[in-house]
Amino acid sequence: MATHKLTLPVDDSQVEKLRLGDTVYLSGTVYTARDMAHLNIKTMRENNQPLPVELAGRAIFHAGPVVRKVDGEWQMVVVGPTTSIRMEPYAQMVGELGVKLIIGKGGMSSDSQEAFKKYKQAYLQAAPGCAVLLAAGVTGVDGGHWQENGMPEAMWVLEVENFGPFIVTMDSTGESRYAAVLDNAMQKIEEIY
Amino acid sequence: MVNSNIMYDEVYALVHTMCTKISDDAYGLMKQAAAKEQKPEAKAMLQAMLDNVGKAGELDKPVCQSPGLPTVYIRFGDNADLSDLNALTRFIPQAVVECTKSGYIRPSIVHPLTRHNSGDSSGEGIPNFEYQYRPGLEYLEVIMSAKGCGAELANISKILTPATLGKNYVGLKKLVLETVAKGGGFPCPPSAIGIGIGGQMDISAKLSREAISTRDWRDKHPDPLIAELEEELLTNINVLGIGPAGIGGDTTTLAVKIGFAATHTAICPVTINFHCWVARRFGVQFYKNGERRYLFGEVM
Repeated sequence: MATHKLTLPVDDSQVEKLRLGDTVYLSGTVYTARDMAHLNIKTMRENNQPLPVELAGRAIFHAGPVVRKVDGEWQMVVVGPTTSIRMEPYAQMVGELGVKLIIGKGGMSSDSQEAFKKYKQAYLQAAPGCAVLLAAGVTGVDGGHWQENGMPEAMWVLEVENFGPFIVTMDSTGESRYAAVLDNAMQKIEEIY
Repeated sequence: MVNSNIMYDEVYALVHTMCTKISDDAYGLMKQAAAKEQKPEAKAMLQAMLDNVGKAGELDKPVCQSPGLPTVYIRFGDNADLSDLNALTRFIPQAVVECTKSGYIRPSIVHPLTRHNSGDSSGEGIPNFEYQYRPGLEYLEVIMSAKGCGAELANISKILTPATLGKNYVGLKKLVLETVAKGGGFPCPPSAIGIGIGGQMDISAKLSREAISTRDWRDKHPDPLIAELEEELLTNINVLGIGPAGIGGDTTTLAVKIGFAATHTAICPVTINFHCWVARRFGVQFYKNGERRYLFGEVM
């Protein structure tokens, strides 16, 4: 299992080197996006409006941080992954936007596996509930977009350094650890009852 | 109602502890799991989780960014003072708002339809209070539980019938295992699972949350049939190999706790309710003589 230290933005060839079980650390700019940010992006695209950020080659983090404003500046308190499956309906859109890495927890499903193959993307599993450890990799919070959606649902622009560790659990060949774990579990259930 | 001997500061301490620590039972089970886990990836994941709890305490930070949805269980007997109930009912929401403003709770409570975020964790029915009159209880007990909502995504309620419940309850057992398998990494495993059985749908749902939020995850149910079922389910769930974070491993679930009520002859309502490993729940028993006993760990 390889360890990759990547600086964003990344290109297809860098993503294609990531294999299930590899460890990844990220540096550069990461954008948080949950349900409402994905919905905003979808609506803006439908209305031919320009997005406030360039997502091509970037990483989207399924997360809503705890941030505080101190002397007019945003400060990171803690941040950890949210359950990614809620963003599955946007798999195609996120692929079209050129997003290369998706950080989250619990994995995504078959539409994402298809998109990951087609658009050369990978999914990175963060340790769930480890918000204090992860926050140590965030060096700055450059404000947020769509704050009217509330703190968790705004898109926060995070500057990160050696952010991780993350485990590659879905890769650009369409392989998914979650699919394999589910198949194995369903087989076991047949054996038990 | 100003004569209560319950002070705001101790209620704030309870809420603050719930944000920055996990319960002793869950922490102990996590340590055991980390020691036993055979798969290196899964072991590293469990170790990170334990380290995170340590760091949260050290830095006085919320142990998880996701505060879940707070539910308060208040149990009282015949000699309870209404002034104490009144104090808890006023102080708890106030402490939740204060902890939100201080960065211990991410403001995450929204209107269910408009999705408008109140910004301070307040809202209709928040926190959810469950007032439970227990004749003969000598103390007033409050348990604060913040259960993460990623865990909710894997939950199900189902009305089984005598036919689908099956011989040796195999229909129920299979339903639990399949729900765990399909839930995969959504509920932040290692999970703990509350199962409510009986009543009508609403009762099974309430029992499921109460079982996993208020019982010690290491306890044994006093009814041997239920105790045996809890044990069988826990053992078999941990054969499935879902593992911490759902990436594969030996540790899928730390505890299975069942609450049950009698039901109607035609049905067997079942709710399966996941708790994430980040067990943010603490409690206090207030005695008449001023004594306090803490539940799930010391309240600071």
